[in-house]
Amino acid sequence: MRDKIRDINSGRTTDVPPRALTPRRLAAIVAGDIVGYSRLMQVDEEGTHARVKRIQRDLIEPSIVEHHGRLVKTTGDGFFAIFDSPVEAVRCGIVIQQNMIGRNASLPKDHWIEYRIGVNLGDVIIEDDDIYGDGVNVASRLESIAEPGEVYISGGIYEQIKHKLVCGYESLGDRKVKNITDPVRVYRVLPDPSALSRSRKRRENILIFLLSLILLVLAGGALWYLLPPLEKARQEAARVLPGVASAPLQSPAGQQAAQAPQPSRPAAPAVQEAASQTRPAPSAAPAAKEAISQPQLAARTPAIQPAPALHEPEMNMLQGGSFAMGSNEDITEKPVHHVTIKPFAISRYPISVREWNQCAAAKACGFTANGKDDAPVTNVSWSDAKQFVAWLAAATGKAYRLPSEAEWEYAARGGTQTRYWWGEELQPGMANCKNCGDVAAAEQPAKVGSFKPNPFGLYDMGGGVDQWVEDCWHRTYQGAPSDGSAWIEGDCESHVIRSGSWQNDARYARPANRDNYDTNVRYPTHGFRIALSP
Amino acid sequence: MRIVRLVLLAAALAALSCAAYAQGTPAPKDALVYFIWPQNGAVIKGGFWCRFGLRNMGVTHAGDTYKNSGHHHLLVDVNEPLNVNEPIPQDKNHLHFGAGQTEARIELPPGKHTLQLVLGDAKHYPFDPPVVSQKITVTIR
Repeated sequence: MRDKIRDINSGRTTDVPPRALTPRRLAAIVAGDIVGYSRLMQVDEEGTHARVKRIQRDLIEPSIVEHHGRLVKTTGDGFFAIFDSPVEAVRCGIVIQQNMIGRNASLPKDHWIEYRIGVNLGDVIIEDDDIYGDGVNVASRLESIAEPGEVYISGGIYEQIKHKLVCGYESLGDRKVKNITDPVRVYRVLPDPSALSRSRKRRENILIFLLSLILLVLAGGALWYLLPPLEKARQEAARVLPGVASAPLQSPAGQQAAQAPQPSRPAAPAVQEAASQTRPAPSAAPAAKEAISQPQLAARTPAIQPAPALHEPEMNMLQGGSFAMGSNEDITEKPVHHVTIKPFAISRYPISVREWNQCAAAKACGFTANGKDDAPVTNVSWSDAKQFVAWLAAATGKAYRLPSEAEWEYAARGGTQTRYWWGEELQPGMANCKNCGDVAAAEQPAKVGSFKPNPFGLYDMGGGVDQWVEDCWHRTYQGAPSDGSAWIEGDCESHVIRSGSWQNDARYARPANRDNYDTNVRYPTHGFRIALSP
Repeated sequence: MRIVRLVLLAAALAALSCAAYAQGTPAPKDALVYFIWPQNGAVIKGGFWCRFGLRNMGVTHAGDTYKNSGHHHLLVDVNEPLNVNEPIPQDKNHLHFGAGQTEARIELPPGKHTLQLVLGDAKHYPFDPPVVSQKITVTIR
């Protein structure tokens, strides 16, 4: 900013004759670059190239478009994009970084592709396929000083977004960057505001603990002095109590306090208070331990809660193989085509309310589901389901995902090619669907696993709740992939749902049945199950 | 006397809870949903763009609870009466437009078909009174 003003004052800008084709404008510039690209290329040239291209195509370009930005230029390992809105620019950066965590989660560390991202607000000159200006250079310098997997922003961006984007911002002070005269104020973006407060809170807790100890010693001393010696026996008894309370803290200070010749009635609650206030400190310890083993995950996922044990959905491993996908019963199921499925695991049941609410409790899913713990979660949109798998993947370090449509049908068929997995005719007790011959359960949807499993040991593959899969909706299988991957080209405003629900009749419970629904819209019969590549 | 009063109270409470069960999002009396295209009795070759008209109310996303606004549902060949106490069903005959669409590409097999529009509230329930279009018949050649 200051640069620009000086430029105008010194009249330097007028030296350059105005060019009609190169308009200047203010823009938020995002610069991204892969860490150790040449090292990655050395390790695996073709693989890295293919992966980088895929990331650019599947993640970077769509994310930029989604945030109303424009990809200006890509270099071999990096990119420049401009945005009208600083908020959108930073959001885009965060989305890319968070997505990369998920992508890297299943790979060994030396194959990780990590981006550094810098965002700056500046005046730029835009040409067809490139941008120029101070602002661009600063963005690129910010990017170069950023830690792998981090987003660094300039002071100008920070001023614009600090009250608008709920993130943590850590000031790194004024930094001198290469070839730029004035130092640049740099902030590090922490997508999870609690990550910042965590370190601060621990310090506060230690302070509170020490303060309480001092008070305790004072109070104890005063009482010792005031109380008649007759009370001595009772004091002996009372001494045990605070000793127990402070023992789990394992702090030498705490043990000193316990041995100090003081405690009596009023002092004991003070110790307990101190203990309860310091409780967050030990719970932060596991998070810190995780930060050592998985620096990427712990740093940025809101999911890392000190929850005692994460209840992971039960998964069935399937061997994969070739099968005929589709049927001739409905136009959307044609043409029947051969698909080869790689080995993968799929959850035995649709995701339950209990499983969902772990994600909601970690503030990584949009809402808390009502209903019984064992009931399938419903009223989730495709985007909701994606949030859940992203959270679970980050929290467990396993690459959980939604199944592809082909994987879903392969799993639902359970090795059969009949109309239903149990045969050609409808049979009671097999699926939770409308008018399927069962006495309707009092509460719908019935809890997961209420009906018979298919030959692959999977429950509720047909009926129960509709289940989202990864694929975008295509009206027929014309042009569908045959390698079992998700079909994500084309119109992605709606995604595929499978299985049919308890509200649909038996035709919908067929493994070949398919339907679609708007990506971001929730509906009370829609749920999902998850998959995992080995 | 006391018993009668208790019974009355219970009845009132029951009625209230029933009312709470039905969503009953109020719609303006003059709200009107209608087909801009096709018209009743139209004969169409192949697929067509169906365009939805709405007067005195607004179209919004499913999930949004703005007053006097909802999203479209297109009922194709549906004969069952509309149940106002349930969300509008979701299947191949009840097409949802929860992203706020006001038109859709429809492809139907040759023959006669009925089409009807129903406006749904944030949770896909019909309004009170229901905002429902005339049921039209089209012929696909």
